[in-house]
Amino acid sequence: MIKFENVTKIYPGMSSPAVDNLSFTVPTGEICTIVGPSGCGKTTAMKLVNRLIDATDGAIHVLDERDEMSNVLEMDPIQLRRSIGYIIQQIGLFPHRTILENIGTVPQLLDWDEARIRHRAEELVTMMNMPVDFLERYPHELSGGQRQRIGVARGMATDPPVMLMDEPFGAIDPINRNILQNEFLRLQQEIKKTILFVTHDIDEAIKMGDKICILNVGGLLEQYDSPANILAYPANEFVEDFVGADRALKRLNLVRVEEVMNSRPPLLQATQDVKQAVGFMTEKKIRFAYVVDAAQTLKGYVRVKDLKGKTGWVEEYLEPAATSIQLTTNLKDALSEMLVVDYANVCVVDGQNRVRGLIDTKMIHESVIESNAVAEGEEV
Amino acid sequence: MATDLARTQRQNGFWREMLNGWMSILTEPNLDAFRAQKTRADPLKTVLGVGLLGLVLGLWALAIKPAALVTGMGTEAALVELMRMIFFAETDFFILSLLIFFIARGFGGIGSFSQQSYLLSLVIVPLGMIITAFLFVGEKLGLTLTAVLDPLSPVGVVGVVVILLALYGFLLLLFALQAAHEMKSSAVFYTLGAPFLAWGIFRVASMFIVGEENVITTQWFFIAEQWTKGTAQELLMGHLWLVAFSVSIAIVLGVTIGVFITWPARKPKLSHLSILIPLVLFLLLWAASSGLLGEGMADQIMSTAKDWSRSLKRIDNLYFGPLLEIVAAIIAKPAAVGMIIAVFIVILYALFLAGEVASDLTLYIAGIILTIPSVALFGAMIKPLGIGPFNAAFALILYAQLPILRNTYTGIKAVMPEIIEAGRGMGMTEGQLLLKVKLPMAVPVIMTGVRVSIVMLIGIASIAAYIGNDTLGRYIFEGIYRAQEKRYYAGAILVAILALAVDYFLGWLQDRLTPEGLKGRREAA
Repeated sequence: MIKFENVTKIYPGMSSPAVDNLSFTVPTGEICTIVGPSGCGKTTAMKLVNRLIDATDGAIHVLDERDEMSNVLEMDPIQLRRSIGYIIQQIGLFPHRTILENIGTVPQLLDWDEARIRHRAEELVTMMNMPVDFLERYPHELSGGQRQRIGVARGMATDPPVMLMDEPFGAIDPINRNILQNEFLRLQQEIKKTILFVTHDIDEAIKMGDKICILNVGGLLEQYDSPANILAYPANEFVEDFVGADRALKRLNLVRVEEVMNSRPPLLQATQDVKQAVGFMTEKKIRFAYVVDAAQTLKGYVRVKDLKGKTGWVEEYLEPAATSIQLTTNLKDALSEMLVVDYANVCVVDGQNRVRGLIDTKMIHESVIESNAVAEGEEV
Repeated sequence: MATDLARTQRQNGFWREMLNGWMSILTEPNLDAFRAQKTRADPLKTVLGVGLLGLVLGLWALAIKPAALVTGMGTEAALVELMRMIFFAETDFFILSLLIFFIARGFGGIGSFSQQSYLLSLVIVPLGMIITAFLFVGEKLGLTLTAVLDPLSPVGVVGVVVILLALYGFLLLLFALQAAHEMKSSAVFYTLGAPFLAWGIFRVASMFIVGEENVITTQWFFIAEQWTKGTAQELLMGHLWLVAFSVSIAIVLGVTIGVFITWPARKPKLSHLSILIPLVLFLLLWAASSGLLGEGMADQIMSTAKDWSRSLKRIDNLYFGPLLEIVAAIIAKPAAVGMIIAVFIVILYALFLAGEVASDLTLYIAGIILTIPSVALFGAMIKPLGIGPFNAAFALILYAQLPILRNTYTGIKAVMPEIIEAGRGMGMTEGQLLLKVKLPMAVPVIMTGVRVSIVMLIGIASIAAYIGNDTLGRYIFEGIYRAQEKRYYAGAILVAILALAVDYFLGWLQDRLTPEGLKGRREAA
């Protein structure tokens, strides 16, 4: 848990504060993204936690290893920093040290023995889906994405309960950034760290955050809430502008296909008799149906008009499906996919291409209406 | 093709054709002119052209002989003289051409011998005749050959023209060879240069073998003589130790100051002052007291040190003597040492406190020190420090610190702020940040400064011989005082060799000290 209590930071010689009377709490095991325009003091706010910058006023409490809340201003800054994971852009790796030495920075400062450091580094590199022999390499021998993974591993070296991430994926190209973000979210489900994540990109903030803290120029807190609530109910005009005119669409980012799909779809078996199939489709009032084999693997689809008056097996009239959607895809991507292929509904498959459900635009629409209702209910 | 050639020859006449060849080469000095001439290559033209040059040379040779000799010589004898000259011109030309031909083949040339000879003759014949004519005219004007060839004499202009013509000829020969063999221009250069180089090496080697004393060999013989006596080694070691001693102190000083002026200003701490103030007071007191009553003690220390150095030298022939002399000279001056250390402690602590605030001023002053002429600094220090190694080491330390100090400062400042921030954010103390991040990353830059310092000091240490140090500069000063060229050349040669060797060694050392991760980054960048 990280708790800001009326925290103010005024730089010497400046009349206006960089962070102004900031209060919010990041619950244990959640990611809080701090987002705002440049000059909003988001990085300053983050650095107040590990005292790279000292607050002028107020208190910041962090849950330490003994599960006690302690005021960072009363702790030794060096000990404090060693107990908090700190991750910045990939250029923060030490170029003159190997990956092993980089990951081992904090353990070394804490006097771990070499075997333990190596063991931990191997564990972390494996966790990041990288081969163990990377440990002997130097940062310049790695790609940008790999360096960033090492940066994350370095921050997690001593398994600190609290981590600070300063635009960690900022210098990565969009494709790799997306991969890294997904990887990190998956990792977070296992490691459950309390994370303060600074970014200037509202999309990243929505994607990564369990909570979003939107700051305005001068370090003013405009809104602190879950992504869904911020998108549904921006607190004021600033937040509304900042999240963008497409905030309704952005909300689709937050819902995954598996949450709204029809998980008992009408399916045909490839080995079914054609007449039987026509009967089934007429009964269900559908013009076409997806076809699976015995293992539920997607084979394609058939249309009623193609089957009427024919004999034989469904297999013989198969047409390949132009697309299918993964279970964990969010609604925005699913909708976009459906607009491209112009299907009334699309198959939802799992990693092994087994059909798990069907989704159509109507279901997406309903989910938006539903979430509005839920959010309203909460507000009342 | 052949009929074309025959037709042009019929139209123009043989001699006119030859003359046209010369003219086109002299007026259009480019590759294409030679390539055009290549198709007209004709052994007869080559032989006749070279014969003509031989005739002209023969006439010139007769003309510059004293008149009495020529008139006393019968017509027959004069003709024989001319024939001999023509014969020698032909044989010399073709032997030379054959030699060049084989070398050119070695460098990948593809032309034929007759083409190459023709193109060479196109250059050599007309230019040879023109140069001869110039010399002839100069002679007839009553000037001797030496006067004509001396660019500073009143008719030196003739000499300048001759030299220019010769250079022009060399350029044309390069074109001729390239056109004849169609090879790379570098290969052409080697082809023409190889005979000269081989001849030069052969000539110099023969000088050394037969022990001929001349302007080239004399300093080398002198060095060899000094080496067998053992003086050269002694001076070499004296030189090296003076530089090594000064540089090691300058590195500590320069890096320390360089580090100090990269951090923010600090407040003095009582714990620091409680150590430093008594230390400085003690040093000053010691300096004052030893100045009053310590001279006898100093003499004793000095003689003891000299004894050590002598016995050490005798025992295992180690060349540590010069170092012991430096140390002895320094501990023999307790007053000066105490003062200097006290002053440096105060300066260092002031810089420690001031940090970045003092960076500009410090670099500025360090730069100014380097502008003081070394002879003047040695001279100015004679009064407080006397002559000998102490004085020299003091001045050399002052000179050596600038490159080291400046490069330490630049190297540390060049470390990317993100990297420092990452280290600090992970809980490194300022000291760990300095030792584990800033300094390792600045090592390549600092080492460059050290290299510059050392090579510079090897030069300046020669001048320290002026105030009685046993460095290689002694040969230079002795040479000047005794007007013995070979001595100062020998000194200069030895200093240059020493500087090159040490720089090469330091390059290797720099490579070893640079962290592996930084090397690859430099290659990638």
